Amino acid sequence: MEPQLSWYLALSAVLFTIGVTGVIIKRNIIAMFMCIELMLNAVNLTFVAFASFFQDVTGQLFVFIVMTVAAAEAAVGLGIIIAIFRNRESLDVDDASILKL
Amino acid sequence: MLALLFILFAAMAVGSALAMVAQRNPLYSAISLIGVFISLACLYVMLAAPFIAAVQVIVYAGAIMVLVVFVIMLLNVEQEERRRKRLKFLVPTAVVLAAILIAEVAFILATVQDFRGSPTEGDIAVGVTHSIGPALFTQYLLPFEITSILLLMAIVGAMTLARRGGLLPPNARVIPGAQQLPLSLVDPRAEPDDLRPVETNTTEEAARLLEK
Repeated sequence: MEPQLSWYLALSAVLFTIGVTGVIIKRNIIAMFMCIELMLNAVNLTFVAFASFFQDVTGQLFVFIVMTVAAAEAAVGLGIIIAIFRNRESLDVDDASILKL
Repeated sequence: MLALLFILFAAMAVGSALAMVAQRNPLYSAISLIGVFISLACLYVMLAAPFIAAVQVIVYAGAIMVLVVFVIMLLNVEQEERRRKRLKFLVPTAVVLAAILIAEVAFILATVQDFRGSPTEGDIAVGVTHSIGPALFTQYLLPFEITSILLLMAIVGAMTLARRGGLLPPNARVIPGAQQLPLSLVDPRAEPDDLRPVETNTTEEAARLLEK
């Protein structure tokens, strides 16, 4: 039996769910960041699955662009995390509740 | 056969993702996340998208996770301490949201008509660079250029954010090799705890001072 499109969609939904749960539960800012990466990957899986099953290259290009955005997000996000850690000496999101550094 | 492979990689992905959320140490979370990325790359290969699989391994498992691990080690992150009393409602909220989303998954699996077709039959050449490249540089040139501008902005932003600012006044002159040494280090007659600064303008001058 071949894997069906709905299997990939279901796996993607499960991974996205785990990512959302992690963002809600976690309080370490780096762990939340990684959960966001997991959610981006779940969406990427949907794109690639649709692109393959519909024989269309557009979905894979979207994945390409999502990956670039993820890389930019990683660079800027980790810069922000380092700046917060310098000022707060903590990575707890509860300690970073004021916009002013 | 393919179904067995799908189940294997899906189980790896879900297991690694659960381990990532369950871990308290961010470094272990990062390693588990790399496991998720690798199993997703395997799934991309099964979906006849070898280029995306390679990019997934190189960009995600390679570049981004190295950056994350680097920051974790740079900041010397402690283990997440036990939850404080407040915000305790978040765990039930997360469980309810997860239950809703899992119900949606069950809905997909139960009712959505399966698309007739399979990635391994028909035109295989969809996922290779030969078909991605022309589309990226003709039809989707504008998103590509916007992406490059986004990357430039990210580089500048990351440098601005991560720079150690505020140590020098804005109009300070920076002389290469200039440094400040405590007086007790360069002058043996000074008191051992005399930390008044002695300024030098070059590295050689500092070395001469230290030799005295």
